[in-house]
Amino acid sequence: MNFTRIKAVAVKEFTDGFRDKRAIYTVLFSAVFGPLMIAFLLTQIAGQEKSANDIKIPVVGREYAPVLMNWLEQQPGVQIVAGPADPEKAVTDRTVEYVLVVDKDFAKRFGESRPAKVQLFGDSTRTQGRSALRRVKNLLQAFSGQIGGMRLAARGVSPAIAAAMKVEDVEVSSARARAAMIFNIIPMFLLLAAFTGGMQIATDSTAGERERGSLEPLMLNPVPRWELITGKWLAAVAGSSASMLLTLVITSNVLLRLPLEDLGIRFQMGSQEMAALMAAVIPMALLGPAMIIYLACFAKSYKEAQSYMGFLVSFVTIPGVLSTFYPVTNRPWLRPIPIIGQYSLSLDVLGGHDVSVWGLVAAAVSAVVCVGILLRLATGKLSDEKVVFGR
Amino acid sequence: MIQVRELRKHFGAVKAVDGVSFDAPDGTVTALLGPNGAGKTTTLRMIYGLMKPDSGSIDIDGVDAVARPLDGQSRLGVLPDVSGLYPRLTAREHIRYFGNLQGLKGAELERRIDKWIEILDLSKVADRRVGGFSHGERTKVAIARALVHAPQNVLLDEPTNGLDVMSTRAVREVIRHLKAEGRCVMFSSHVMQEVSALSDRIVIISSGRVIAEGTAPELVALSGKSTLEDAFVSLTGLQGPEEGSHSA
Repeated sequence: MNFTRIKAVAVKEFTDGFRDKRAIYTVLFSAVFGPLMIAFLLTQIAGQEKSANDIKIPVVGREYAPVLMNWLEQQPGVQIVAGPADPEKAVTDRTVEYVLVVDKDFAKRFGESRPAKVQLFGDSTRTQGRSALRRVKNLLQAFSGQIGGMRLAARGVSPAIAAAMKVEDVEVSSARARAAMIFNIIPMFLLLAAFTGGMQIATDSTAGERERGSLEPLMLNPVPRWELITGKWLAAVAGSSASMLLTLVITSNVLLRLPLEDLGIRFQMGSQEMAALMAAVIPMALLGPAMIIYLACFAKSYKEAQSYMGFLVSFVTIPGVLSTFYPVTNRPWLRPIPIIGQYSLSLDVLGGHDVSVWGLVAAAVSAVVCVGILLRLATGKLSDEKVVFGR
Repeated sequence: MIQVRELRKHFGAVKAVDGVSFDAPDGTVTALLGPNGAGKTTTLRMIYGLMKPDSGSIDIDGVDAVARPLDGQSRLGVLPDVSGLYPRLTAREHIRYFGNLQGLKGAELERRIDKWIEILDLSKVADRRVGGFSHGERTKVAIARALVHAPQNVLLDEPTNGLDVMSTRAVREVIRHLKAEGRCVMFSSHVMQEVSALSDRIVIISSGRVIAEGTAPELVALSGKSTLEDAFVSLTGLQGPEEGSHSA
């Protein structure tokens, strides 16, 4: 083993990769894109949540039901505005989310203690304004219940008799759950950074080397093949780790600036959590480049190698998507499985769960074993005459 | 000193090299002459350790290069048939990289890099990225990085192929320089003038076999022809228009 030679290969490949401006921009873009998307989605959810508490109700025919309007306006955060001329069309066209239409016989029927009619136009398939619509419905039902109760009391009947049961609505999902779901994609962006950051170096130094015809001159030097592969892998690992670290720093800075308390999310990102998160995902910066290098050894050109990368990216995104259906947090036996283990660990760190050192070690060790196997296979591939000369 | 004995290599049903033997002594320029597809490149690739022979032996300065290809490689400097440079590295970085891989470093390496930049007249472009280099400049960089570790044996696969006059002269100059230093130089070519101008010994290969070997006058005498080119055509048994037989 000769570390000087491995270092020479690693330094050369890193310098070469670093001078590829397009590759650098790709890494920077993907490091910024993920956190910005998370920030956008979380702000959206926070905005929707706020809009459910502060609602404006477009009403057509408010003059027919002054009692109801007064009552509504007394509720916190409720404002009555004039409704559109054609309520159904307005809702379909999405100029408003819902419209309350008061029947012109409202006051008359109300006075006669007969059911007074209102119509609520809304579109339950739309996520936008769904919680506001639900609130309006609840308010109307509450009004109806209150008036009904008062009428029974006036006739000497206890309102409790009219209510066979009382349903208490305890909301646990909604905004908080959705925000948590978005939190789940943070590990996905971190793990993807392991691929995007090392991709240029890993493919250019293998498939690209073949394409340029520079593999043959390189292998004329008395250097064991595995030293060449190791040097190239180390250079790619440097790229991957840098890109992961950058994504992590940007993500935590973005998250600290968002009003996450409004969403009921507990988010702490001190140096200890940062270190734990980095320890959870860093084995991916070793494994990602090894996977790319092995795959790229099958490609005759840089472009061909790039076309295999979609396949690799699915390795990261599929566990991410699956984790939204199948919970991966707090399952220690998942940890030794590469990629899924990193997911599980980083979600636990982000969720504020305790992560044992042994869990981190188990995940890291299994990733390192995979790296060894992949690099061994890549070395075998590189020793094949068909790979060296087949262009 | 390179000694090749009964070298064989096949690709599928094709016997690319079929029992090649020859010696390339020190202080001598040996030319590997043959038509395209004769097995020159395959023979060289086996000598420089990137192809494993089916059978036969290769001895480089007393080292069994078939059993220990890396030891063979450290005694060789090779210019393969493609220059294969890295567009984003400078000429100097190319030479330094290969020097590092050959185990050189520090001031000694820098001194050698400067020497080769000087010899090959690369000083004006030494610190530019090779992406914009001409074919001649690329070949010079490839030569410099192949020779930076001062190997005793030098293999050049069609070194002047596609070069302009000035670059060709520079390459020939390097070959003469290496010979004067007492090194073993081998190059392959199919250009007669080059072979007769540069080489001391010629090994003619055709269809994977050595047809004849010797000095240019010896080969001419052997074939009974008047020029090396006619001797080559006659010895390889290639079909071609005979001189003065244009009557048809």
